[in-house]
Amino acid sequence: MSNMSDHSSSVSREQVAEAYLKAFRLIDDRVTPYLGKVTTRVLVQGAAKRVSSTYPFLHFLVKMPYTDVVPTVVQEQLSGVSTIELAAALDALLQECFAGIKELTGDLIAPPIYDEVTRQLEQLQ
Amino acid sequence: MQSQSRLSESAYSSYHTPNSDRLAAILQEMEYINTIGKSFVAAIDRFQVHRALLGALQKLYSFAACSILLKGDPFELSIIPCYPLSQVFIAAMIERIASAASVIDFPAVSVEELANASYLDAPDDLSITQKLGSPVQDMIGGAVIGSFLNVPLTVENRIVGMLSLFDEREGTFDTDLLKLTTMIADYAAVALENVRLRERETALWRQAEIGRQRLELIISSMAEGLLITNEQGGITLLNVSAQHLLAQAQLDLKQNSPLRTLALANNVSWLHKLADIIDEALTGVTVMNQELIAGEAGEPVPLTLSISAAPLHDASQVQMGPIGVVAVLNDVTANKQIEKLKDEFVSVVSHELRSPLTAIKGYTQHLMRRIDRRLRKTQQEQQSSAISGVDLPENYDLRSLSIIQSQADHLERLVNDLLDLSQVQWGKLHLQYSSFYLADVLVESVRSVQASTEQHTIYLDIAVQDTKIVADKMRMSQVIGNILDNAIKYSPQGGQVTVKLEEREGDYFVSITDQGIGISQEYLDHIFERFYRVRNTASRQYSGIGLGLYVTRAIVEEHGGHIWVTNNKGLGCTFSFTVPAAAHSD
Repeated sequence: MSNMSDHSSSVSREQVAEAYLKAFRLIDDRVTPYLGKVTTRVLVQGAAKRVSSTYPFLHFLVKMPYTDVVPTVVQEQLSGVSTIELAAALDALLQECFAGIKELTGDLIAPPIYDEVTRQLEQLQ
Repeated sequence: MQSQSRLSESAYSSYHTPNSDRLAAILQEMEYINTIGKSFVAAIDRFQVHRALLGALQKLYSFAACSILLKGDPFELSIIPCYPLSQVFIAAMIERIASAASVIDFPAVSVEELANASYLDAPDDLSITQKLGSPVQDMIGGAVIGSFLNVPLTVENRIVGMLSLFDEREGTFDTDLLKLTTMIADYAAVALENVRLRERETALWRQAEIGRQRLELIISSMAEGLLITNEQGGITLLNVSAQHLLAQAQLDLKQNSPLRTLALANNVSWLHKLADIIDEALTGVTVMNQELIAGEAGEPVPLTLSISAAPLHDASQVQMGPIGVVAVLNDVTANKQIEKLKDEFVSVVSHELRSPLTAIKGYTQHLMRRIDRRLRKTQQEQQSSAISGVDLPENYDLRSLSIIQSQADHLERLVNDLLDLSQVQWGKLHLQYSSFYLADVLVESVRSVQASTEQHTIYLDIAVQDTKIVADKMRMSQVIGNILDNAIKYSPQGGQVTVKLEEREGDYFVSITDQGIGISQEYLDHIFERFYRVRNTASRQYSGIGLGLYVTRAIVEEHGGHIWVTNNKGLGCTFSFTVPAAAHSD
């Protein structure tokens, strides 16, 4: 997917984070009717656990629900991380999250949500 | 959509049918929800939840198997087949379950661990079919998973497990079935959580019951008697030992009425003492080692109990009054018997020692007087014959006899201590009251002790005008002498000893402060016990048999006073005692 990374020089860290948070919120909206409202939260936590070996600065998401991430948290936890690196990390997180949805339900709900999220991220560029 | 679900058909067609058809569809849906709701609510164990879940899902569609993975330590994985499954299929299921569990943040678990924790919960009709039907080999399904679903089981926004569905066919599940399965999973999650809580409650009850039985066994096996009362002082529990120990009352003590009432209603004298102990503990005080003679008065050594009682507080309301008392009863009759024998022995021996001692002292004095007369006569003869400077043998005899007399005096003091001990033990410390000035006794005692030491300086400070008292003069002198002797003895480097007499709240207050070795804090409580010797004097030998302070305390208390000792911050100690100024003054 990695829609943000190409133009990361022109956007701030907060904007990148907000774009991906919106993406996760969209996933949440779409997944909740099928798998309940807790699922996306734990999918993101599980995904964070898997990517944090590559992107240690995302480890805080293992314990903290993504819904609690506000601008101050972004400033605190992600200070010193470049926009490019952050976009790559959040994209990896998103991919892992989709991998999780596929692991749970196969191709029943993942493909349309993936397309919708991709479109949304493109619009936010 | 390949589902044969009546519910989904009716739900989706309801938008395009007349009103009556729509209502019928809703009714059908409600009936379905009502049925599965009832079956989940009625489930009292996880197997019944499995049956309810299987029933609810099979009404919607057909599939090969479902499984429930529950969080916990260890994991619990139940595999519920709809028909006999091959081992390969089950292994593939477990692999899928492990993989799905990892993405929804389950604690890490390997396929092997899951396989070991798995439990095949086949419905009963499946096994009946196996028994009655054709060869099992014909009924076992395929080896490949065609389609699957994994739905988190959540209770109050908390994931408690995961429901997984598997089928051999491809495309068995669609998004509508996923939604319905999630709804049923919610029912199952709540039902499983209820079962878990019920199992936990049962386990806790069982644990509590085992603890109670264990405690009961310990109490009934105790060699010590155990007595527990309620807040009114009525006995609610007596263990076997306590029943034996209190059997002399020949009463049913467990009548739940207060012990005091029982004591008043029955002619058992010691019950009053027992009631006193219980009543004191009910005020919140812990009573330690109270002796109670529960035997017949005429017996040489009656049954004697040592009782300690402590208030019982409700664990949740410590600030409130006690809800009862727990008392421990020890039979100390054998100890009393030994003590009695010992006291008798000491009494007899000291009496027997006293007679020859009196004779030794008497004859020594007689010999000393005779030799002294003879010496004076010889000295006069020497003076008249102008012979001098010759060391006469009488001088040597006189010195020897003086040593004998001094040692006999020491022996007499020891014997007197032993005799005093007997008197105290038998409660026969009779005082000979007379009127005298306490200041005079102090002056005499200080003068006498000062004469025996050059290293020490004894100061006497009398801060009272009138020191007239009615007491046993000889015993008072003994008290002051004992404390002063100790002050000198335990100040081997010399120093000051200060004796002070004051009047406080109607009592004469005497304090004797030394600058000696002092007493360690741990020994202060025992210093007045009989035969007690302070151990921190081990580096140096101090004479004495540990009776002086025991007798001293008995004399002071017999006069109605109190005696105690305090440490002086590393420099000696202070013994203080009071004597009522008005005691026996009438």
